[in-house]
Amino acid sequence: MTRSLALTLNALGLYAVALVLVIAFAAQLLLNELPCPLCLLQRIQFAMLAVGPILNLRFGPRPSYYAVSLFTAIAGAAFATRQILLHIMPGDLGYGSALLGYHYYTWAFIGFAVAIIALAAMLLFDEQFRDDGKPQPAGAFARAAVWLVIALTALNVVSTLLECGFGACPDNPVAYELLKRAP
Amino acid sequence: MEFSALFLAVTVVMVVAWWGTRTLALALFAATLLASIATYLHHASDVLKLSF
Repeated sequence: MTRSLALTLNALGLYAVALVLVIAFAAQLLLNELPCPLCLLQRIQFAMLAVGPILNLRFGPRPSYYAVSLFTAIAGAAFATRQILLHIMPGDLGYGSALLGYHYYTWAFIGFAVAIIALAAMLLFDEQFRDDGKPQPAGAFARAAVWLVIALTALNVVSTLLECGFGACPDNPVAYELLKRAP
Repeated sequence: MEFSALFLAVTVVMVVAWWGTRTLALALFAATLLASIATYLHHASDVLKLSF
C-alpha cells in the first residue's frame, strides 16, 4: 500500500467517524433520545478515534498514530461491553430504542470491533511508513474531513452542556437540563 | 459537566494534532484517554439497580 493510498484511507476513516457522530446526533435530535452517561462515553471514544488519522494526515503515517486509535477503540469496546452486560438479563428491554434489531451500544461495540480490525489491517502494510523525504500536504478532501470531525466534536461540547448542565449527568436523561424553565 | 469537559478536551487534542506539535498532541491524547477511563470507572462503581 502506497503512502498516498494510506492517507486517502485515513481521510475516509475520518468521514466514517463523522458519519457515526452525525447518526448519534440524528437519534438525539430527531428521535429525542438523549444519550446516557455510558452512551456519551462511547460517543467520546468514537470522536477520539479521529486523533490517529489526523496525526497520520498531518505528519505522515506512523505505527504509533495507529496505536493511538487502537487504544481508543479498545476502551470504546470495553465501555460498550459494559452497557451490553447491564441489559443482558432475559426480559430486560435495553436502554433506548433499537436500530435494525440492535441497540445503539451494541452497534457501538460492533463499530469499535470493526475499527480494531481495520487498524490492525492498516498496520500490515509497511510500504506506507517509508518516508521518501517528499512532504505530502493534505488535500482538500482530507482537510474537509479533519474540520468536519472537529466541528462535530465541538457541537457535542454544546449539546452535552445543554443536556447535563453544570452538575452530574442523570443516569436516564429525559430533558435538557439547561433548557428547563424555572418553576 | 465532566462529559462536556471530555468533549472539549478531545476537540483541543484534535486541533493540536492538526496545528500544533506531535509531542503535545500525544501528551494531551494520553491525558484525555486516562480521564475518560477514570470517568468510566467512576460510573462503573455505582450500585446497580438490578432486580434479581
